[in-house]
Amino acid sequence: MNILADVARELVGMFVADARLSAAILALVAGVAGLIGMLGVEPLVGGGVLLVGCHLILVEAAVREARKRRS
Amino acid sequence: MDTASWGIAAPAVGAAFVASLVEVVEAFTIVLAVATLRGWRPAVLGTLAALAVLGALIVALGPLLDRVPLHLLQIVIGVLLLLFGMGWLRKAVLRSAGVIALHDEEAAFAAETRELAEEARRKDASMDWIAGLAAFKAVLLEGLEVVFIVIAVGAGRGLLWPASLGALAACVAVLAVGAVVHRPLSRVPENTLKFGVGVMLAAFGVFWTGEGLGVEWPGHDLILLAFVALFLATGLATAALLRRPAVAAPR
Repeated sequence: MNILADVARELVGMFVADARLSAAILALVAGVAGLIGMLGVEPLVGGGVLLVGCHLILVEAAVREARKRRS
Repeated sequence: MDTASWGIAAPAVGAAFVASLVEVVEAFTIVLAVATLRGWRPAVLGTLAALAVLGALIVALGPLLDRVPLHLLQIVIGVLLLLFGMGWLRKAVLRSAGVIALHDEEAAFAAETRELAEEARRKDASMDWIAGLAAFKAVLLEGLEVVFIVIAVGAGRGLLWPASLGALAACVAVLAVGAVVHRPLSRVPENTLKFGVGVMLAAFGVFWTGEGLGVEWPGHDLILLAFVALFLATGLATAALLRRPAVAAPR
C-alpha cells in the first residue's frame, strides 16, 4: 500500500507541481478550445493565444515562486 | 525520413534520451546506495522487478493508444505534456536563477545510504527485503516518468519505437558509465538537462494541444523547432530576470 501511495503521489506530482500553474494551463486550454469551437475564431489565432499564454503563465509562475521564497 | 519528419523525430528522440538520462541517473544513485550497503543481489532484484512492472504497463497501455481517436489523443497528451513540461521548466528556471537548490546526487546517495542503514538497525532480519524494495521503488517511480515521456513524445506521430530507443540508449549510457566509475554520477549537469527537457516537452505540449484543437501550424512539424527556441529564450530570460534580487523580491 505504501508503494501504491508513493506511485499515486508521484503521478500527481508529475502533473501538479504547482497547483496554480496547472490550473492556469487547464484554463488556457479550455479558453482556446472555447475560442475556436464556440466563437469560431480562426484556429491559427487560437494556437497563437495558446503559445503566448503558455509563455506568460511560465514567467508568472516562476516570478511568483521566487518572490514567495525570497520573502 | 524527410525533413519535416526529422523536424519532429529529432526532438522526440532527443527529449526521450535526455529526460531518461536525468531519471536514470536519479534511479542509479539509489540502486547504487542499496548495492553499496547490502550487495548487488537486492539491488538487481529490485531493479528487475520494477522494470518488469514498467514493461507490463507499456504492454497494457500500448494497444489502448491505437484505439483512441487521434485528435483526442493529441489533446490529452498535449495537455499532460504542458502540465509536465511547464512544471519541469519552471523548476529548472528557479534552479538556474538560484532560487531553489540544485539537485545533488552525492547528497542523495548519502541520504539514501543513511536511511537504509537506519532501517537496518531497526529491522535487521528483513534488511535485504527493505533494500530491494528501495531499489524497486526508485526504478519504478523514476521509470514512470520515462514511460510517460516516451509515450507522450512518441504516440502522436507513430514515433514510439524511436522514442523508446532514445530512452534505452540513455539507460545503457548511464549503466555503462556507472559500472566504470562505480559512484553517483554527480557530474551530469542535471539542471541543464532538465531545462532542455522542460523546453522540449512544453514545445511538444503546445504543438499537440494545438493540433488536437484543429490548428494547422505553418511549416507543420518544423514549427516545433521554433517553439523550442521560443521556450528556451523565455526560460533563459526569466532565469536572468530572477537573478536580479530587485525583481524577485516581494513588493
